[in-house]
Amino acid sequence: MNAVEIKNLSKNFGAKQAVCGLDMTVPMGAIYGFIGENGSGKSTTEKMICGLIPTSGGSIKLYGRDYTDGDVRAKVGVLIESPGCFPGLTVWENMMLQARNLRIPDAEKEVIKVLKTVRMEGAAGNKYKNCSLGMKQRVGIAMALLGEPTLLVLDEPLNGLDADGMRIMREVFLDIVKDGKRSIIVSSHLLGELQKVATHYGIIRHGKMIVEMSAAELDASCRTFVALRSDEINRTKMLLGCKYSRVEEDEAGYIRVYDITTPEEVVRYLWENGISVTELGIDKIGLEEYYIDLMNGGKR
Amino acid sequence: MTPELKFESPSFGKRIKGMLGVDFYRLFHTPLFYIFLVIAAIIPAMVSAMTMMPDASGNTMEPLYSNVWQIIASSKSLYVIESIADYANMNMVFIFGGIMVSIFIGHDYKSGYVKQLFTTHAKKQDYMISKSVVCAFAIICMCLTYFIGGTVGGLLVGYDTTVNVGSLVLAILGKMVMSFGWASLYTFLNVIFRKYFGISIASSFFFGTGILIIGAAAIVESLSLPTFFLNIFLYGSSVNASLSSNIGTLVICIAVSAAWSIIYNLLGTRILTKSDVY
Repeated sequence: MNAVEIKNLSKNFGAKQAVCGLDMTVPMGAIYGFIGENGSGKSTTEKMICGLIPTSGGSIKLYGRDYTDGDVRAKVGVLIESPGCFPGLTVWENMMLQARNLRIPDAEKEVIKVLKTVRMEGAAGNKYKNCSLGMKQRVGIAMALLGEPTLLVLDEPLNGLDADGMRIMREVFLDIVKDGKRSIIVSSHLLGELQKVATHYGIIRHGKMIVEMSAAELDASCRTFVALRSDEINRTKMLLGCKYSRVEEDEAGYIRVYDITTPEEVVRYLWENGISVTELGIDKIGLEEYYIDLMNGGKR
Repeated sequence: MTPELKFESPSFGKRIKGMLGVDFYRLFHTPLFYIFLVIAAIIPAMVSAMTMMPDASGNTMEPLYSNVWQIIASSKSLYVIESIADYANMNMVFIFGGIMVSIFIGHDYKSGYVKQLFTTHAKKQDYMISKSVVCAFAIICMCLTYFIGGTVGGLLVGYDTTVNVGSLVLAILGKMVMSFGWASLYTFLNVIFRKYFGISIASSFFFGTGILIIGAAAIVESLSLPTFFLNIFLYGSSVNASLSSNIGTLVICIAVSAAWSIIYNLLGTRILTKSDVY
Protein backbone atom coordinates (compact mmCIF):
# COMPACT_ATOMS: atom_id res chain seq x y z
CA MET A 1 0.00 0.00 0.00
CA ASN A 2 1.25 3.48 -0.85
CA ALA A 3 0.95 6.45 1.48
CA VAL A 4 -0.32 8.68 -1.33
CA GLU A 5 -1.67 7.76 -4.73
CA ILE A 6 -2.79 10.56 -6.99
CA LYS A 7 -4.33 9.96 -10.39
CA ASN A 8 -5.07 12.56 -13.02
CA LEU A 9 -5.37 15.38 -10.48
CA SER A 10 -6.34 18.81 -11.72
CA LYS A 11 -7.07 22.19 -10.25
CA ASN A 12 -8.34 25.28 -12.01
CA PHE A 13 -8.46 28.77 -10.61
CA GLY A 14 -10.89 30.38 -13.00
CA ALA A 15 -9.35 30.07 -16.46
CA LYS A 16 -5.91 29.29 -15.04
CA GLN A 17 -5.00 25.63 -14.80
CA ALA A 18 -2.65 25.28 -11.83
CA VAL A 19 -2.46 21.48 -11.88
CA CYS A 20 -3.39 19.35 -14.87
CA GLY A 21 -3.46 15.56 -15.02
CA LEU A 22 -0.94 15.04 -12.25
CA ASP A 23 -0.06 11.50 -11.18
CA MET A 24 1.97 10.96 -8.03
CA THR A 25 2.87 7.99 -5.84
CA VAL A 26 4.47 8.28 -2.43
CA PRO A 27 5.47 4.89 -0.99
CA MET A 28 5.18 4.23 2.73
CA GLY A 29 8.30 5.12 4.65
CA ALA A 30 9.51 7.47 1.90
CA ILE A 31 10.90 10.94 2.14
CA TYR A 32 9.46 12.29 -1.07
CA GLY A 33 11.24 15.33 -2.43
CA PHE A 34 8.66 17.37 -4.32
CA ILE A 35 10.49 19.70 -6.67
CA GLY A 36 9.46 22.36 -9.12
CA GLU A 37 9.83 25.98 -10.09
CA ASN A 38 7.85 28.73 -8.37
CA GLY A 39 4.27 28.54 -9.61
CA SER A 40 4.66 25.00 -10.94
CA GLY A 41 1.79 23.71 -8.79
CA LYS A 42 3.63 22.20 -5.82
CA SER A 43 1.83 24.11 -3.08
CA THR A 44 -1.51 23.73 -4.84
CA THR A 45 -1.01 19.96 -5.01
CA GLU A 46 0.01 19.85 -1.35
CA LYS A 47 -3.01 21.90 -0.33
CA MET A 48 -5.28 19.52 -2.24
CA ILE A 49 -3.70 16.52 -0.52
CA CYS A 50 -4.34 18.26 2.80
CA GLY A 51 -7.94 19.07 1.92
CA LEU A 52 -7.42 22.82 2.13
CA ILE A 53 -8.61 23.40 -1.41
CA PRO A 54 -11.03 21.23 -3.36
CA THR A 55 -9.84 19.44 -6.47
CA SER A 56 -11.21 20.18 -9.94
CA GLY A 57 -10.76 16.56 -11.05
CA GLY A 58 -8.90 13.33 -10.48
CA SER A 59 -8.47 11.27 -7.33
CA ILE A 60 -6.31 11.38 -4.23
CA LYS A 61 -5.96 8.29 -2.06
CA LEU A 62 -4.22 8.28 1.29
CA TYR A 63 -3.36 4.80 2.49
CA GLY A 64 -5.84 3.38 0.02
CA ARG A 65 -8.73 5.55 1.22
CA ASP A 66 -10.26 8.63 -0.35
CA TYR A 67 -8.51 11.73 0.96
CA THR A 68 -11.78 13.19 2.25
CA ASP A 69 -12.16 10.31 4.73
CA GLY A 70 -12.05 11.95 8.16
CA ASP A 71 -10.33 8.99 9.81
CA VAL A 72 -7.38 8.99 7.45
CA ARG A 73 -7.16 12.78 7.59
CA ALA A 74 -6.54 12.55 11.32
CA LYS A 75 -3.24 10.92 10.44
CA VAL A 76 -1.96 13.74 8.25
CA GLY A 77 0.40 16.33 9.69
CA VAL A 78 1.04 19.51 7.78
CA LEU A 79 3.35 22.47 7.61
CA ILE A 80 2.29 24.68 4.72
CA GLU A 81 3.56 28.25 4.61
CA SER A 82 3.26 28.84 8.36
CA PRO A 83 2.83 26.56 11.37
CA GLY A 84 -0.56 27.97 12.45
CA CYS A 85 0.54 29.21 15.86
CA PHE A 86 -0.85 32.12 17.80
CA PRO A 87 1.97 34.66 18.20
CA GLY A 88 0.97 35.81 21.70
CA LEU A 89 1.00 32.29 23.15
CA THR A 90 4.08 30.32 24.12
CA VAL A 91 5.36 27.38 22.12
CA TRP A 92 4.07 25.10 24.86
CA GLU A 93 0.58 26.66 24.85
CA ASN A 94 0.35 26.44 21.08
CA MET A 95 1.39 22.81 21.16
CA MET A 96 -1.09 22.01 23.91
CA LEU A 97 -3.92 23.66 21.97
CA GLN A 98 -3.18 21.49 18.97
CA ALA A 99 -2.86 18.42 21.18
CA ARG A 100 -6.27 19.18 22.66
CA ASN A 101 -7.74 19.64 19.19
CA LEU A 102 -6.39 16.23 18.29
CA ARG A 103 -7.82 14.72 21.49
CA ILE A 104 -4.47 13.26 22.49
CA PRO A 105 -5.05 11.48 25.82
CA ASP A 106 -1.68 12.16 27.46
CA ALA A 107 -1.14 15.53 25.81
CA GLU A 108 1.71 16.81 27.97
CA LYS A 109 3.78 13.68 27.46
CA GLU A 110 3.17 13.76 23.72
CA VAL A 111 4.07 17.46 23.45
CA ILE A 112 7.33 16.89 25.36
CA LYS A 113 8.10 13.96 23.05
CA VAL A 114 7.63 15.89 19.81
CA LEU A 115 9.47 18.94 21.13
CA LYS A 116 12.39 16.64 21.90
CA THR A 117 12.19 15.18 18.41
CA VAL A 118 12.66 18.64 16.88
CA ARG A 119 15.26 19.64 19.52
CA MET A 120 13.00 22.36 20.92
CA GLU A 121 12.42 21.13 24.47
CA GLY A 122 14.48 24.01 25.87
CA ALA A 123 12.41 26.69 24.14
CA ALA A 124 8.91 25.55 25.13
CA GLY A 125 8.37 28.59 27.36
CA ASN A 126 9.26 31.10 24.63
CA LYS A 127 6.48 33.14 23.13
CA TYR A 128 6.02 32.01 19.56
CA LYS A 129 6.44 35.55 18.23
CA ASN A 130 9.90 35.72 19.83
CA CYS A 131 11.16 32.53 18.17
CA SER A 132 13.70 32.71 15.35
CA LEU A 133 12.69 31.56 11.87
CA GLY A 134 14.49 28.25 12.34
CA MET A 135 12.74 27.68 15.67
CA LYS A 136 9.39 28.52 14.11
CA GLN A 137 10.00 25.97 11.36
CA ARG A 138 10.80 23.33 13.96
CA VAL A 139 7.72 24.25 16.01
CA GLY A 140 5.73 23.83 12.81
CA ILE A 141 7.12 20.35 12.31
CA ALA A 142 6.49 19.54 15.97
CA MET A 143 2.85 20.63 15.51
CA ALA A 144 2.61 18.44 12.43
CA LEU A 145 4.02 15.50 14.39
CA LEU A 146 1.39 15.64 17.14
CA GLY A 147 -1.01 12.73 17.11
CA GLU A 148 1.51 10.39 15.48
CA PRO A 149 0.62 11.18 11.87
CA THR A 150 1.54 8.66 9.24
CA LEU A 151 1.90 11.27 6.51
CA LEU A 152 3.64 14.62 6.83
CA VAL A 153 3.25 17.29 4.19
CA LEU A 154 5.95 19.93 4.60
CA ASP A 155 6.09 22.91 2.28
CA GLU A 156 9.53 24.53 2.16
CA PRO A 157 10.51 23.56 5.72
CA LEU A 158 14.18 24.27 5.02
CA ASN A 159 13.71 27.91 4.07
CA GLY A 160 15.64 30.36 6.18
CA LEU A 161 17.51 27.74 8.19
CA ASP A 162 21.20 28.11 9.01
CA ALA A 163 23.64 25.23 8.50
CA ASP A 164 22.98 23.80 11.95
CA GLY A 165 19.24 24.17 11.49
CA MET A 166 19.46 22.23 8.22
CA ARG A 167 21.43 19.47 9.89
CA ILE A 168 18.87 19.22 12.71
CA MET A 169 16.05 19.15 10.19
CA ARG A 170 17.73 16.33 8.25
CA GLU A 171 18.12 14.34 11.45
CA VAL A 172 14.48 14.99 12.29
CA PHE A 173 13.31 13.72 8.89
CA LEU A 174 15.36 10.55 9.20
CA ASP A 175 14.08 10.01 12.77
CA ILE A 176 10.49 10.33 11.58
CA VAL A 177 10.67 7.70 8.84
CA LYS A 178 13.01 5.26 10.55
CA ASP A 179 10.22 2.85 11.57
CA GLY A 180 8.94 2.69 8.00
CA LYS A 181 5.38 3.65 9.02
CA ARG A 182 5.52 7.32 8.25
CA SER A 183 6.08 9.11 4.98
CA ILE A 184 7.07 12.69 4.34
CA ILE A 185 6.32 14.85 1.33
CA VAL A 186 8.77 17.71 1.44
CA SER A 187 8.99 20.46 -1.11
CA SER A 188 12.10 22.60 -1.25
CA HIS A 189 14.23 24.66 -3.58
CA LEU A 190 17.33 23.64 -1.63
CA LEU A 191 18.01 20.61 -3.76
CA GLY A 192 21.43 19.87 -2.32
CA GLU A 193 19.91 19.56 1.14
CA LEU A 194 16.97 17.57 -0.14
CA GLN A 195 19.27 15.08 -1.86
CA LYS A 196 20.86 14.24 1.48
CA VAL A 197 17.62 12.79 2.85
CA ALA A 198 15.11 12.11 0.08
CA THR A 199 14.38 8.52 -0.92
CA HIS A 200 12.06 9.46 -3.78
CA TYR A 201 11.57 12.46 -6.03
CA GLY A 202 8.78 14.00 -7.99
CA ILE A 203 9.51 16.85 -10.37
CA ILE A 204 6.57 18.98 -11.39
CA ARG A 205 6.38 21.56 -14.14
CA HIS A 206 3.42 23.61 -15.34
CA GLY A 207 1.15 21.51 -13.13
CA LYS A 208 2.30 18.17 -14.56
CA MET A 209 4.57 15.55 -13.06
CA ILE A 210 7.44 15.25 -15.49
CA VAL A 211 9.62 12.78 -13.61
CA GLU A 212 9.00 10.55 -10.62
CA MET A 213 11.75 8.24 -9.39
CA SER A 214 13.57 6.79 -6.42
CA ALA A 215 16.91 8.10 -5.17
CA ALA A 216 18.56 4.98 -6.63
CA GLU A 217 17.03 5.68 -10.02
CA LEU A 218 18.21 9.28 -9.84
CA ASP A 219 21.68 8.10 -9.00
CA ALA A 220 21.68 5.74 -11.96
CA SER A 221 20.47 8.40 -14.36
CA CYS A 222 22.84 11.13 -13.22
CA ARG A 223 25.67 11.73 -15.65
CA THR A 224 29.23 11.05 -14.58
CA PHE A 225 32.05 13.45 -15.32
CA VAL A 226 35.79 13.81 -14.95
CA ALA A 227 36.81 17.02 -13.18
CA LEU A 228 40.33 18.32 -13.64
CA ARG A 229 42.58 21.30 -13.29
CA SER A 230 45.58 22.16 -15.36
CA ASP A 231 48.07 24.99 -15.65
CA GLU A 232 46.54 26.14 -18.97
CA ILE A 233 42.83 26.34 -18.46
CA ASN A 234 41.79 27.97 -21.71
CA ARG A 235 43.90 25.72 -23.94
CA THR A 236 42.75 22.69 -21.99
CA LYS A 237 39.12 23.65 -22.54
CA MET A 238 39.72 24.21 -26.20
CA LEU A 239 41.49 20.89 -26.69
CA LEU A 240 38.93 18.90 -24.72
CA GLY A 241 36.11 20.69 -26.50
CA CYS A 242 37.46 19.40 -29.83
CA LYS A 243 37.43 15.79 -28.65
CA TYR A 244 34.49 15.47 -26.22
CA SER A 245 30.87 16.46 -26.72
CA ARG A 246 30.36 18.28 -23.42
CA VAL A 247 33.08 20.21 -21.64
CA GLU A 248 32.36 22.94 -19.08
CA GLU A 249 34.14 24.96 -16.47
CA ASP A 250 32.38 24.96 -13.08
CA GLU A 251 32.21 27.71 -10.46
CA ALA A 252 35.21 26.30 -8.59
CA GLY A 253 37.41 26.52 -11.69
CA TYR A 254 37.43 22.80 -12.52
CA ILE A 255 37.00 21.66 -16.09
CA ARG A 256 34.32 18.99 -16.36
CA VAL A 257 34.31 16.42 -19.14
CA TYR A 258 30.95 14.64 -19.13
CA ASP A 259 29.93 11.09 -19.90
CA ILE A 260 33.33 9.44 -19.64
CA THR A 261 34.42 7.09 -16.90
CA THR A 262 38.11 6.67 -17.77
CA PRO A 263 40.12 9.68 -16.61
CA GLU A 264 43.34 8.07 -17.87
CA GLU A 265 42.18 8.65 -21.44
CA VAL A 266 41.74 12.38 -20.79
CA VAL A 267 45.06 12.72 -18.99
CA ARG A 268 46.88 10.92 -21.79
CA TYR A 269 45.27 13.07 -24.44
CA LEU A 270 46.24 16.29 -22.63
CA TRP A 271 49.75 14.98 -21.95
CA GLU A 272 50.23 14.25 -25.64
CA ASN A 273 49.27 17.87 -26.31
CA GLY A 274 51.76 19.20 -23.79
CA ILE A 275 49.38 19.95 -20.90
CA SER A 276 49.95 18.71 -17.36
CA VAL A 277 46.93 17.86 -15.23
CA THR A 278 47.37 19.17 -11.67
CA GLU A 279 44.16 17.79 -10.09
CA LEU A 280 41.87 15.01 -11.22
CA GLY A 281 38.67 13.37 -9.96
CA ILE A 282 35.60 11.52 -11.11
CA ASP A 283 32.10 12.43 -9.91
CA LYS A 284 28.40 12.45 -10.76
CA ILE A 285 26.11 15.43 -11.18
CA GLY A 286 23.81 16.06 -8.19
CA LEU A 287 20.07 16.53 -7.99
CA GLU A 288 20.41 20.23 -8.58
CA GLU A 289 22.27 19.80 -11.86
CA TYR A 290 20.01 16.97 -12.90
CA TYR A 291 17.02 19.21 -12.26
CA ILE A 292 18.51 22.15 -14.16
CA ASP A 293 19.35 19.82 -17.05
CA LEU A 294 15.82 18.51 -17.04
CA MET A 295 14.30 21.98 -16.97
CA ASN A 296 16.52 22.97 -19.90
CA GLY A 297 15.51 19.94 -21.88
CA GLY A 298 18.86 18.22 -21.31
CA LYS A 299 20.86 21.22 -22.55
CA ARG A 300 22.75 23.64 -20.39
CA MET B 1 6.20 -6.08 4.91
CA THR B 2 3.74 -3.20 5.05
CA PRO B 3 3.44 -1.83 8.59
CA GLU B 4 -0.06 -2.12 10.07
CA LEU B 5 -1.98 1.13 10.32
CA LYS B 6 -5.08 1.86 12.37
CA PHE B 7 -7.48 4.70 11.74
CA GLU B 8 -10.09 5.62 14.32
CA SER B 9 -13.30 7.62 14.01
CA PRO B 10 -13.78 10.04 16.88
CA SER B 11 -17.41 10.74 17.77
CA PHE B 12 -19.00 14.15 17.25
CA GLY B 13 -19.01 14.65 21.03
CA LYS B 14 -15.29 14.02 21.33
CA ARG B 15 -14.48 16.24 18.38
CA ILE B 16 -16.56 19.18 19.52
CA LYS B 17 -15.33 18.86 23.11
CA GLY B 18 -11.72 19.17 21.97
CA MET B 19 -12.44 22.12 19.73
CA LEU B 20 -14.57 23.95 22.29
CA GLY B 21 -11.79 23.49 24.83
CA VAL B 22 -9.31 25.13 22.49
CA ASP B 23 -11.63 27.98 21.54
CA PHE B 24 -12.54 28.76 25.14
CA TYR B 25 -8.87 28.63 26.12
CA ARG B 26 -8.09 31.08 23.34
CA LEU B 27 -10.98 33.34 24.29
CA PHE B 28 -9.86 33.57 27.89
CA HIS B 29 -6.27 34.23 26.81
CA THR B 30 -7.25 36.96 24.35
CA PRO B 31 -6.87 40.47 25.85
CA LEU B 32 -9.40 41.70 23.30
CA PHE B 33 -12.15 39.76 25.04
CA TYR B 34 -11.59 41.63 28.30
CA ILE B 35 -11.26 44.95 26.49
CA PHE B 36 -14.66 44.40 24.90
CA LEU B 37 -16.17 43.41 28.25
CA VAL B 38 -14.99 46.73 29.64
CA ILE B 39 -16.25 48.62 26.57
CA ALA B 40 -19.65 46.94 26.97
CA ALA B 41 -19.78 48.17 30.58
CA ILE B 42 -18.51 51.68 29.96
CA ILE B 43 -20.69 52.60 26.98
CA PRO B 44 -24.09 52.39 28.77
CA ALA B 45 -22.64 54.11 31.84
CA MET B 46 -21.34 56.91 29.62
CA VAL B 47 -24.62 57.21 27.72
CA SER B 48 -26.51 57.52 31.04
CA ALA B 49 -24.11 60.08 32.44
CA MET B 50 -23.92 62.17 29.28
CA THR B 51 -27.66 62.53 29.02
CA MET B 52 -27.65 64.33 32.35
CA MET B 53 -24.70 66.60 31.63
CA PRO B 54 -25.31 70.35 31.24
CA ASP B 55 -24.96 71.79 27.73
CA ALA B 56 -22.84 74.83 26.75
CA SER B 57 -25.37 77.29 28.15
CA GLY B 58 -25.40 75.51 31.49
CA ASN B 59 -28.83 73.96 31.08
CA THR B 60 -29.24 70.28 31.73
CA MET B 61 -30.17 68.38 28.57
CA GLU B 62 -33.45 66.61 28.42
CA PRO B 63 -32.77 63.07 29.68
CA LEU B 64 -32.89 60.35 27.05
CA TYR B 65 -34.47 57.92 29.46
CA SER B 66 -37.09 58.18 32.17
CA ASN B 67 -36.16 54.86 33.71
CA VAL B 68 -32.84 53.18 34.49
CA TRP B 69 -33.91 49.96 32.74
CA GLN B 70 -34.57 51.66 29.44
CA ILE B 71 -30.86 51.56 28.80
CA ILE B 72 -31.11 47.77 29.03
CA ALA B 73 -34.15 47.37 26.80
CA SER B 74 -36.65 49.72 25.20
CA SER B 75 -40.08 50.08 26.78
CA LYS B 76 -41.76 48.38 23.85
CA SER B 77 -40.81 46.69 20.59
CA LEU B 78 -39.53 49.49 18.37
CA TYR B 79 -38.40 47.91 15.13
CA VAL B 80 -37.59 51.22 13.52
CA ILE B 81 -36.08 53.70 15.95
CA GLU B 82 -37.59 57.09 16.58
CA SER B 83 -34.81 58.52 18.73
CA ILE B 84 -31.29 57.57 19.72
CA ALA B 85 -32.64 56.40 23.08
CA ASP B 86 -34.57 53.64 21.32
CA TYR B 87 -31.34 52.48 19.82
CA ALA B 88 -28.99 52.82 22.77
CA ASN B 89 -29.80 49.68 24.71
CA MET B 90 -28.40 46.20 25.12
CA ASN B 91 -28.73 45.60 21.37
CA MET B 92 -25.54 47.65 21.04
CA VAL B 93 -23.72 44.63 22.46
CA PHE B 94 -24.39 42.84 19.19
CA ILE B 95 -22.31 45.49 17.40
CA PHE B 96 -19.38 45.18 19.83
CA GLY B 97 -19.78 41.44 19.69
CA GLY B 98 -19.62 41.45 15.90
CA ILE B 99 -16.34 43.32 15.90
CA MET B 100 -14.86 41.08 18.57
CA VAL B 101 -15.95 37.92 16.79
CA SER B 102 -14.45 39.19 13.51
CA ILE B 103 -11.09 39.83 15.12
CA PHE B 104 -11.21 36.54 17.04
CA ILE B 105 -12.01 34.45 13.96
CA GLY B 106 -9.79 36.58 11.73
CA HIS B 107 -6.81 35.48 13.83
CA ASP B 108 -7.62 31.85 12.99
CA TYR B 109 -6.93 32.62 9.37
CA LYS B 110 -4.12 35.11 9.85
CA SER B 111 -2.14 32.71 12.02
CA GLY B 112 -2.78 29.71 9.78
CA TYR B 113 -4.50 27.86 12.63
CA VAL B 114 -7.35 26.75 10.38
CA LYS B 115 -4.87 24.96 8.14
CA GLN B 116 -3.84 22.75 11.02
CA LEU B 117 -7.45 22.29 11.98
CA PHE B 118 -8.93 21.35 8.63
CA THR B 119 -5.98 19.36 7.41
CA THR B 120 -5.90 16.93 10.23
CA HIS B 121 -9.22 16.10 11.68
CA ALA B 122 -11.74 18.88 12.05
CA LYS B 123 -14.97 18.82 10.15
CA LYS B 124 -16.11 22.17 8.86
CA GLN B 125 -19.40 21.73 10.68
CA ASP B 126 -17.51 21.32 13.99
CA TYR B 127 -15.63 24.53 13.33
CA MET B 128 -18.83 26.49 12.68
CA ILE B 129 -20.53 25.11 15.78
CA SER B 130 -17.56 25.65 18.06
CA LYS B 131 -16.99 29.22 16.91
CA SER B 132 -20.69 30.06 17.17
CA VAL B 133 -20.93 28.69 20.72
CA VAL B 134 -17.76 30.39 21.97
CA CYS B 135 -18.61 33.70 20.33
CA ALA B 136 -22.17 33.51 21.69
CA PHE B 137 -20.67 33.00 25.13
CA ALA B 138 -18.47 36.08 24.62
CA ILE B 139 -21.51 38.16 23.59
CA ILE B 140 -23.49 36.88 26.60
CA CYS B 141 -20.62 37.97 28.87
CA MET B 142 -20.79 41.39 27.23
CA CYS B 143 -24.54 41.48 27.90
CA LEU B 144 -23.75 40.92 31.59
CA THR B 145 -21.12 43.66 31.78
CA TYR B 146 -23.45 45.93 29.81
CA PHE B 147 -26.16 45.24 32.36
CA ILE B 148 -23.82 46.09 35.23
CA GLY B 149 -22.50 49.25 33.53
CA GLY B 150 -25.95 50.41 32.48
CA THR B 151 -27.49 49.78 35.90
CA VAL B 152 -24.69 51.48 37.82
CA GLY B 153 -24.67 54.43 35.39
CA GLY B 154 -28.46 54.81 35.57
CA LEU B 155 -28.52 54.62 39.35
CA LEU B 156 -25.70 57.15 39.68
CA VAL B 157 -27.54 59.73 37.60
CA GLY B 158 -30.72 59.06 39.56
CA TYR B 159 -33.13 57.56 37.06
CA ASP B 160 -36.34 55.99 38.29
CA THR B 161 -35.96 52.28 39.04
CA THR B 162 -39.57 51.16 38.77
CA VAL B 163 -39.83 48.07 36.58
CA ASN B 164 -41.71 44.85 36.01
CA VAL B 165 -38.90 42.54 37.15
CA GLY B 166 -40.26 39.55 35.24
CA SER B 167 -40.32 41.46 31.95
CA LEU B 168 -36.84 42.86 32.59
CA VAL B 169 -35.44 39.38 33.27
CA LEU B 170 -37.19 37.98 30.19
CA ALA B 171 -35.86 40.84 28.06
CA ILE B 172 -32.30 40.23 29.23
CA LEU B 173 -32.65 36.47 28.77
CA GLY B 174 -34.15 37.05 25.34
CA LYS B 175 -31.20 39.17 24.26
CA MET B 176 -28.79 36.62 25.66
CA VAL B 177 -30.52 33.86 23.74
CA MET B 178 -30.30 35.98 20.60
CA SER B 179 -26.52 36.00 21.04
CA PHE B 180 -26.38 32.50 19.52
CA GLY B 181 -28.06 33.70 16.35
CA TRP B 182 -25.85 36.78 16.13
CA ALA B 183 -22.70 34.78 16.81
CA SER B 184 -23.65 32.35 14.05
CA LEU B 185 -24.24 35.24 11.66
CA TYR B 186 -20.85 36.76 12.47
CA THR B 187 -19.11 33.40 12.14
CA PHE B 188 -20.79 32.95 8.77
CA LEU B 189 -19.77 36.44 7.62
CA ASN B 190 -16.20 35.76 8.68
CA VAL B 191 -16.17 32.52 6.75
CA ILE B 192 -17.33 34.37 3.64
CA PHE B 193 -14.80 37.18 4.04
CA ARG B 194 -12.07 35.00 5.56
CA LYS B 195 -9.44 36.33 3.19
CA TYR B 196 -10.38 39.97 3.80
CA PHE B 197 -9.98 40.85 7.44
CA GLY B 198 -11.14 44.47 7.09
CA ILE B 199 -14.25 43.58 5.13
CA SER B 200 -15.24 40.92 7.66
CA ILE B 201 -15.10 43.50 10.47
CA ALA B 202 -17.01 46.06 8.41
CA SER B 203 -19.68 43.56 7.43
CA SER B 204 -20.14 42.43 11.04
CA PHE B 205 -20.51 46.05 12.10
CA PHE B 206 -22.96 46.74 9.29
CA PHE B 207 -25.20 43.77 10.07
CA GLY B 208 -24.85 44.33 13.83
CA THR B 209 -26.35 47.80 13.57
CA GLY B 210 -29.56 46.16 12.41
CA ILE B 211 -29.91 48.81 9.74
CA LEU B 212 -31.44 46.29 7.32
CA ILE B 213 -34.52 46.11 9.53
CA ILE B 214 -35.59 49.40 7.96
CA GLY B 215 -35.87 47.68 4.59
CA ALA B 216 -37.61 44.70 6.12
CA ALA B 217 -40.05 47.01 7.91
CA ALA B 218 -40.85 48.75 4.64
CA ILE B 219 -41.57 45.39 2.98
CA VAL B 220 -43.77 44.27 5.88
CA GLU B 221 -45.62 47.57 5.72
CA SER B 222 -46.09 47.39 1.95
CA LEU B 223 -47.53 43.88 2.30
CA SER B 224 -49.84 45.13 5.06
CA LEU B 225 -48.45 42.52 7.42
CA PRO B 226 -48.38 43.11 11.16
CA THR B 227 -44.98 44.24 12.50
CA PHE B 228 -44.90 40.97 14.42
CA PHE B 229 -43.47 39.42 11.21
CA LEU B 230 -40.29 41.41 11.75
CA ASN B 231 -39.54 39.06 14.62
CA ILE B 232 -38.37 36.47 12.14
CA PHE B 233 -35.17 38.51 11.76
CA LEU B 234 -32.39 38.50 14.32
CA TYR B 235 -32.65 42.22 14.91
CA GLY B 236 -36.44 42.09 15.06
CA SER B 237 -36.46 39.48 17.80
CA SER B 238 -33.66 41.27 19.63
CA VAL B 239 -35.75 44.46 19.66
CA ASN B 240 -38.83 42.50 20.59
CA ALA B 241 -37.13 41.52 23.86
CA SER B 242 -38.26 44.73 25.53
CA LEU B 243 -39.44 45.85 28.97
CA SER B 244 -42.91 44.64 28.01
CA SER B 245 -41.71 41.10 27.31
CA ASN B 246 -43.57 38.01 28.37
CA ILE B 247 -42.75 34.32 28.21
CA GLY B 248 -43.94 34.27 24.59
CA THR B 249 -41.24 36.80 23.73
CA LEU B 250 -38.58 34.51 25.13
CA VAL B 251 -39.98 31.54 23.22
CA ILE B 252 -39.83 33.58 19.99
CA CYS B 253 -36.25 34.58 20.76
CA ILE B 254 -35.29 30.93 21.32
CA ALA B 255 -37.01 29.79 18.12
CA VAL B 256 -35.63 32.59 15.94
CA SER B 257 -32.13 32.37 17.36
CA ALA B 258 -32.06 28.58 16.94
CA ALA B 259 -33.42 28.77 13.39
CA TRP B 260 -30.90 31.38 12.23
CA SER B 261 -28.07 29.57 14.04
CA ILE B 262 -28.85 26.39 12.12
CA ILE B 263 -29.20 28.25 8.82
CA TYR B 264 -25.94 30.16 9.19
CA ASN B 265 -24.08 27.08 10.41
CA LEU B 266 -25.28 25.03 7.46
CA LEU B 267 -24.41 27.79 4.99
CA GLY B 268 -20.99 28.34 6.56
CA THR B 269 -20.26 24.62 6.51
CA ARG B 270 -21.25 24.40 2.86
CA ILE B 271 -19.06 27.35 1.88
CA LEU B 272 -16.07 25.93 3.74
CA THR B 273 -16.58 22.54 2.12
CA LYS B 274 -17.06 23.79 -1.41
CA SER B 275 -14.42 26.50 -1.59
CA ASP B 276 -10.78 26.98 -0.73
CA VAL B 277 -10.42 27.03 3.00
CA TYR B 278 -7.17 28.87 2.94
